[in-house]
Parts: sequence; C-alpha cells; structure tokens
Amino acid sequence: MGRGGATEAAREVGAAGRRGHAAPGGLSGPAAPRTELLRWQWREVQAPCLVAAWILVASLAKIVFHLSRKVTSIVPESCLLILLGLGLGGIVLAVAKKAEYQLEPNMFFLFLLPPIVLDSGYFMPSRLFFDNIGAILTYAVVGTLWNSFATGTALWGLHRAGLMDPGVEAGLMDFLLFGSLISAVDPVAVLAVFEEVHVNETLFIIVFGESLLNDAVTVVLYKVFNSFVELGPAHIHATDYPLHLFLSSFFLVSLGGTAVGLLFAFLLALITRFTKRVRIIEPLFVFLLAYVAYLAAEMVSLSAILAVTFCGICCKKYVEANISQKSRTTVKYTMKTLASSSETIIFMFLGISAVDTSKWTWDTALVLGTLFFILLFRAVGVVLQTYVLNRFRLIPLDRIDQVVMSYGGLRGAVAFALVILLDREKVKAKDYFVATTIVVVFFTVIVQGLTIKPLVTWLKVKRSDHHKPTLNEELHEHAFDHILAAVEDIVGHHGYHYWRDKWEQFDKKYLSQLLMRKSAYRLRDEIWDVYYKLNIRDAISFVDQGGHVHSAAKLALPSMPSRTSMSESSVTNLLRESGSGACLDLQVIDTVRSRRDKEDAAMHHVLRGSLYKPRRRYKASYSRHFISPDKQERQDKEIFRQNMKRRLETFKSTKHNVCSSKSKARLKEKGRKKASPSQAPALFLALRFGLPRDAVSEEEESDSSETEKEDDEGIVFVARATDEVLQGKTAPGSLDVCPSPCIIPPSPTLAEKELPWKGDQADLAVYVSSETTKIVPVDMQKAWNQSISSLESIASPPGTESGPQHRRFACPVLEEQPQSASQVMPEQSSCFQFPSHVSKSGRSQSDSSPDGPEQQELQPLMATEEQGRMAPSVEPRWLMFNRASHL
Amino acid sequence: MHQCRLILWNIVLVYENINDSTKSLSLCLRLFYRYRDLAPQLVPLDYRGRPAVTLPYGLIASMPELKDNPFRQRIAEVFSERGDGNMTLDDFLDMFSVLSEMAPRDLKAYYAFKIYDFNNDDYICKSDLEKTVNKLTRNELTPEEVSLACDKVIYEADVDNDGKLSLEDFQHMILRAPDFLSTFHIRI
Repeated sequence: MGRGGATEAAREVGAAGRRGHAAPGGLSGPAAPRTELLRWQWREVQAPCLVAAWILVASLAKIVFHLSRKVTSIVPESCLLILLGLGLGGIVLAVAKKAEYQLEPNMFFLFLLPPIVLDSGYFMPSRLFFDNIGAILTYAVVGTLWNSFATGTALWGLHRAGLMDPGVEAGLMDFLLFGSLISAVDPVAVLAVFEEVHVNETLFIIVFGESLLNDAVTVVLYKVFNSFVELGPAHIHATDYPLHLFLSSFFLVSLGGTAVGLLFAFLLALITRFTKRVRIIEPLFVFLLAYVAYLAAEMVSLSAILAVTFCGICCKKYVEANISQKSRTTVKYTMKTLASSSETIIFMFLGISAVDTSKWTWDTALVLGTLFFILLFRAVGVVLQTYVLNRFRLIPLDRIDQVVMSYGGLRGAVAFALVILLDREKVKAKDYFVATTIVVVFFTVIVQGLTIKPLVTWLKVKRSDHHKPTLNEELHEHAFDHILAAVEDIVGHHGYHYWRDKWEQFDKKYLSQLLMRKSAYRLRDEIWDVYYKLNIRDAISFVDQGGHVHSAAKLALPSMPSRTSMSESSVTNLLRESGSGACLDLQVIDTVRSRRDKEDAAMHHVLRGSLYKPRRRYKASYSRHFISPDKQERQDKEIFRQNMKRRLETFKSTKHNVCSSKSKARLKEKGRKKASPSQAPALFLALRFGLPRDAVSEEEESDSSETEKEDDEGIVFVARATDEVLQGKTAPGSLDVCPSPCIIPPSPTLAEKELPWKGDQADLAVYVSSETTKIVPVDMQKAWNQSISSLESIASPPGTESGPQHRRFACPVLEEQPQSASQVMPEQSSCFQFPSHVSKSGRSQSDSSPDGPEQQELQPLMATEEQGRMAPSVEPRWLMFNRASHL
Repeated sequence: MHQCRLILWNIVLVYENINDSTKSLSLCLRLFYRYRDLAPQLVPLDYRGRPAVTLPYGLIASMPELKDNPFRQRIAEVFSERGDGNMTLDDFLDMFSVLSEMAPRDLKAYYAFKIYDFNNDDYICKSDLEKTVNKLTRNELTPEEVSLACDKVIYEADVDNDGKLSLEDFQHMILRAPDFLSTFHIRI
C-alpha cells in the first residue's frame, strides 16, 4: 500500500530478518561437536511458537470471558481483550524489563487485516449495501475528508494558541497528517462493537460500509500529507500538489482498488467453475485469490481494503453457486475463524503495545483536544451530511440514528498501525501522536464501546430482527423489482430500479452463463432457492427431532408457550373477527398442558412412520470423509420429494376422511375391535373430522377430572367448536375456488405466520399433540395409520379441484350416518340445545358404550348442520370460560 | 417556451386539485411530455378539451426496455381505468403517484395486491400466484414445483385459513416486514 513509511517498513522487515538469521547462527555453534539425543531448539521454533502461543492465550481468554454471560453482555469483547493485553503487556514488562511485543504495522496490514476485511466483504448483505451505497459513499468520502481536515486544522489552531506543550514540534502539515490517520472510522472496531449491539441493518450497513470504504480516502490523505511532511515545510507551495492531482490520485486509488477486486472476483468465479473434480481445494481458491487481490492492490499502492471488499462482495454469488455444499460450509467457518482470531489478536496486541512507554510522550492538551475535536467534528459532519442525504432518502435517518452514527465512529488498529509507521526523523512529534492515538483508540473502543449498548437501549434505536427470509418476502421483492423497473421504463425515468434491472439482465444473460456451471445455473433461481432452503431446513429440524426423541419432546414443549404468547400478542383484530383466533389459542394451550412422557411415545410413533428417513441416511453419510456431490444432490431431492409427499398425504387424509363414510365405518369397527379404553375412539374420530383441538381439549378436561360443571362445558364446547370449524369452512366457501389447506393443521397457521420457517415443525407438533395425545394407545395409532393409507388407496389422488366438491358432499353423508348407526342420536341432539344437560348423558354414554363418544363427536357436526345458528349465540361465554379454565 | 407554458396551463386547467405534492407541476409536465413522446401522433398538445386519448397497450408493450419485463402487461392493465391496458393521461399520472414516496402505504399495498390478482376476483389465489411465480422464474420450474412453492406462499401468509390471500392477509404480511413496502417506490 506504500503507506508512506517505506523506511520504517524496511526497518521492520530488517528486524524480522535479523531475528530470523539469528536462529541458525545460534544453532550452528553448539551443534557441531557432540551428538545429543534431545536438543533444546527453542530458537528454531521461536517465531512461530510465539505466534501460536499468543493466539492460544487470546483464544483461551475468549473462553474465559464467555464463561460469564453477564460480563460479555455488558462489556464488549474488544474491551476485555484490550484490558487483557494491557495486563499481559504489564507482566512482560515486569519480567523482561522492556516491552518486547507490539502490534507491528507490517504484520497488521499483511496478515491480520485481510481476513477481517474479506470476511466482512464476503458476508456483506449485498443488496442492503448497494441500496445504501449513496449514503455510504457520502459518509466515507466527504465525511472522512471533513473529519481529517477539520481535526487537523483545529489541532493546529490549538497548537498555535500555545495551549500545547512546547515539545510538540509540529506544523500544519504534521497536524493534517495526524488528522488524516486519526479521523478514519475503523472497520475492525466498528464490527467488534456493532456486532454485539444489534442495531437495525440500515444503520449498521451505513456505519460499517463507511468504515470499509473510507480506506481509499485515508490512504490518499496519508500518502499526500506524508510526502508533504517529508518534503519539509519550507518546500511546500500550493502549486506543488494541486488539487486536481489530489483528486486524480484519490480516484486512482479507490477505483483502482475496486477494479483489482473485481478482476480477482471474476477470476475466482471462473476458476471455481471448473473445480468439479477437485472439490477439496475449492475453499483454498477463495482464500488464496482474495489474498492475492489484497497483495496485488497493496503492491501497486491502491486501496487494498477496497479490493478485498469488492472481491468478496462480487464473487460470492457465483462462487456459492459453483462450489459444493461442504466447501461452502468450510469457507464460511474458516473465514469466520480467521477473522475472529485476527480480531482477537489485534485487540490484544493493541493492549500490549500500549504498555511500551518508551514510545509515548504525553501531552494533556493534545490528547484532550484530539478527543474533543474527534467527537465534535464527527457529530457535526454526520448531522450536516445527513441533512443533505435525507433530502434524497425515502426513509430519512432520524435524529436517533444520527446520534448512534456519530457515537459509533470508533477508531482502531488501523490508526494505530499508521501512526507507528510514521517516520520519527521527519515527524518530530511522533511520540506525542502515538500516545494520543493510543488514548483515542482506547477511549473509543472502551468507553464508547461500553456505553453504546446502553445508549442504544436508552434511545430505543430500532433493533434488527433476525427473521429468516420467508418465501413471500422473496417473491414479492422480486415482483416489486420488476414492477418498478417496468414503471420506470414506461415513464421513461432512468432511476435506480432501471439500472438494477439492466444489471440483472446483463448478469443473467452473460455473466452467469460465463461464470456458473450449467448445473448450478438453474438452481440459482432465487425464489426457488429460498423455497428449497426452507424445505431443507424443515426436513433437518424434523429429523433432528426424530433422531433424538427424548430431547425432541423437551425441545418442542418449551417452544409451545412462546408460540402461545406470540400468537396471542399478534392476534389482530382481523383474527378476532374471524373467530378462529380463539381456537388457535386454545389448541396451543392444550398442547402445552399435555404430558411429556406420553407425548414422547407419541412423537416416536409419528416419527417412526414419518417420511424423512432419507435424511437420516444423509446425516450418517455426512460424517464420512467424502461424499460425491451427485449423491448428495440426489438425497436432497429425495428429502424434498418426501416432504412433498407428506404434505400431500396430510392434505389428503384430513380432507378426505371428512367425507368418506366408508372409512369411517371401518374406523368404527376398528375402534370396537380394539376396544380401547376410555374415549379413544372418540378422540380418534374427532381428529379425523378435523376438530382435533376440541377433542383434545375435551380430553384434557375429563382427564384432569375437574368439576362437573367444567365437564359440561367441555362437551358443549365441542359443539360450538364444530360449528366453528364448519363455519370456517363454509363461510368463505362461497368463493371456494381453490382448495383450502386450512384443515390440515387448523391451528399452526398463526404460529407459522410468526415462525414461517417452522412450517413443518409446527405441523408436526400439532400432529403429535392431537393425533396421539396421551390416551391413544399404540395399536390405535397403527390402525389410524392403516386407515389413512387405505383411505388413500380408495380415494383417487385428489386433484386440487376435487376438494370443494367432496366437502359439499360431506354434510348429507354425515347426516345420514349417525341415524343409521344408532337411535341415541335424537336425545343427544336435544342435549346440544341445553348445554347443562349434555354432560351427564353424554358422559355416561361415553362410559358405557364405545359408540358413545363417536356419537358425541358426530352428533354436533350434524346438529350444527341442522341448527347451525344455535351455537354462535352460546359461543362467546363458553369461549371465555374455557380460556379462563385453561389459563 | 411558449409551447411549454401552454401545456403547463393546460394541465393546470385540467387538474385543479394539483396542489398535493405528489403531482407537483414540473413533474406533471415531465410526465406529460413523456406521455406525449410515446405517441406524438395521438396525443394533442392542447389538453383543454379533455380529449379522450388513450395510449394503446401495444405501444407500451413494444418499448424495447420492457421487452424482458414479465409484468408489463399486468401493470398496464391494473393502472388503466378500463382494465384493458390502454392508458389515458390520468392513468399515466396515477401510476406515478401511487409509486411516489408520498403515497400512503395502504394505497401501495392495494395496488401491489391488484397487480398480483390476475383474475380480478379480489383474492390472490393459487392460480394467481402460479402466474406470478412463472413470470418471475421465466417458466423454468416444473408445474409441480411451482404449485408447491405457491402452496407454501399461501401457507405462510394465509391468516384466515381460506386458502387464498385476501387484501387483509396481504397487508398483514407486508406490514410485518417493515421496510417491505418502502421498496415499492420510484424516486424522480
């Protein structure tokens, strides 16, 4: 990068070289005369060993920090690391009597910085980044320029005013140089602190993007001022370095760096296209080429940070599509590991370096002045720029955002490395600057890092919500992009959407064709991709539960209450009006109250018959060293198909047993044969009639053997609920054009609305709770499964259009059935009208004959058909009561 | 210059309630020029008599920029008053004001909903979604893949469990993602 201090750099290298040479020299002496079995070869391994030891210490320290959740939730890790570094540096100082280790600029720029920048570039949310690119560039360029000039000039003014120690020998140029290095927001520090604060994405991307992109400005300013300082104040004339030269140098450095990044991104994408046979080195290419990009940019003194950032941003899409799933995981983890360890070392060494007092010279006025000006000018700059930017932004950055942005302008290791690189011969006040920089870095990282979290909480800054992408969002985002581009075209306005649309078309037509494998190309379709991911995730969670049945139940159960609360909090007026909301709540509560061990067993049975077996195979083979990608793809597909099948089946089963009388008859028979205890058949039938929740709730109540009165309510409640279900089905049925999958899992839809990625999991939960809860014995379970399968064979594979017709048929069939079955029915229908009466007769029936419960369940269905308008009037009270009793 | 004034005056005459900023004057003027540029032989400069001029859909569809856009016909249909894709100047201005930043969220949501609702039955049902997905993926998916994806979409967003998305469902879903509709705008 040629950050000016060429001589200093040379000295560093020289020092390293000397140390390197010292080792063999020391070795050759004693090695000659005697032969030894063991030899102490510390000098040979000294350098790498020290590196390893430092990394080890830092990583162990990280573990220790994270032992206490309380500490890390208050104090950012970067602060702790700096403090640790201070402590270690103190120990080293005390033992060795001199400060040995410090953050060397070369090590920092060549080894520690690239992983962090690459990581941030590669995982940058590119759409968010490019949506806000205007604001980011403004802050990065204008803001940094303003900061450095204002800070430098103000400090110079302070010096001229005689407030500083006379030992500070510095002219305007020195202060401007200092201003340029101290004013740049540091990506490492920003990332370290903001990662723990979780402000909303826009705010984060603006601050973080600024910290990445201001590198070009910093480099240019630093170079320019450094050359001025080296020339000496006497030789500088305004004409020596005219503005246009500065500007062109700036554009060269920034655009050149970007171009290098793009070039290497292109190469990288192209190379990964042909790695089909050598999957194992795919991740290597990613790291290697990105690093070469960094070095190449550094070599020709362009902005290396920009190069790596853009290399990461641009290659990601193609690389991810080309490399295998395993390589993707490897890249991800390796990148994170490298970045995280670099960050750790940087902060620790910052602390250690600070102990080295030989490089310090303290001047209170300079330190305080710098701190004050930095904060002041940052705030002023942000406010002014935001004022301008807000005229062009749809969502303006409000006052609170501005506060966080100005307060989040952290300085870090880049500034420190740059100030160490200064030449003491040329910059007389280097020691003062070093001390000031250290104080500024420590102040921003420790004080601001510590307080930014409470500040964000106190100001109620909008936090980020980590929701997974739903299919809807993806779909609509795409559709909106197209729509907007179309409208811009029609109106003839070449705006943002126009260009993005053009870019996407170009990408689709040429770039993707060139840089992506043919096989990857189709899969890349983003909507499909999201859908695919959702499905895979579902499948994995499904199998995770299946794999460990015991833990699964424990996992599933705690999630229920949260779902309850979520659904309750989010039940909108809309839902309340439609009336189904109440049912949803009830169901969820019931699930919570179900007993664990039985649910375990139930879960087990559901899962044993479940359809995700391929996934298990897949998992097993995952542990093997290497699997061919084809196989994996096939397995993924298989899982997907299974998922599809399962869906279809649940759909079929719930839908068809409502109407097919045949299956019901068989069911009844089975129920008798098995002569299962208590009300199992009832539950059974109830389930099959699509009222699982009410049946279950009734079970609950009778199970818990509460008061008589409650029992009454329970039964009446069934009637109400049936009615409701029917209503739910028929009310919108006037427009019954498309099939309503609503019956499948009557309740989880709300939960799903909240946790859309949980689709199948929620499904599963409901099935477990409703199908098999508690009472249904294993054989019943089997019977149920059998009947379903037989049902499927009977029912023609339902085209989606056949649904409504079937349903329309359902009611007459139901009406006739019970009549032919027994004569108890009329009584019961009358019972229905008088809720208080129902319970006793109903209950006794259910106890005496196995038929009874069935009747109970059937009958309301019929009753509601006949006297449908009865129930709603009763409804609210029961509803409330029921709720109360459950809550 | 004179011509420009004339047009401006015409527009002021025609749109008296122009004071809201979404249809600010200069913007109107620009849009009018654009409108006229699309079909100079059809659109008169003198708009005082509110001539019943419509821009036929064929003209819009034939624009080279729109060649690849899957939604061009649907947009024209939704924003044209008669639903046939032929746009009057009013429709043209409406289209823009709906997508401007000042337009309320609900209005945007309503129009977005309309755009999706291909069969105009006030519900986004599965066939509508299938159309959308097919348009977006350029028919690269098999029918059953599309159908599955649509099922999932409905499943995610269907609050009232009727197997299709009503306007309320749609709004609910959109309001859940705070910066969702904010993308639905055009800045001049």
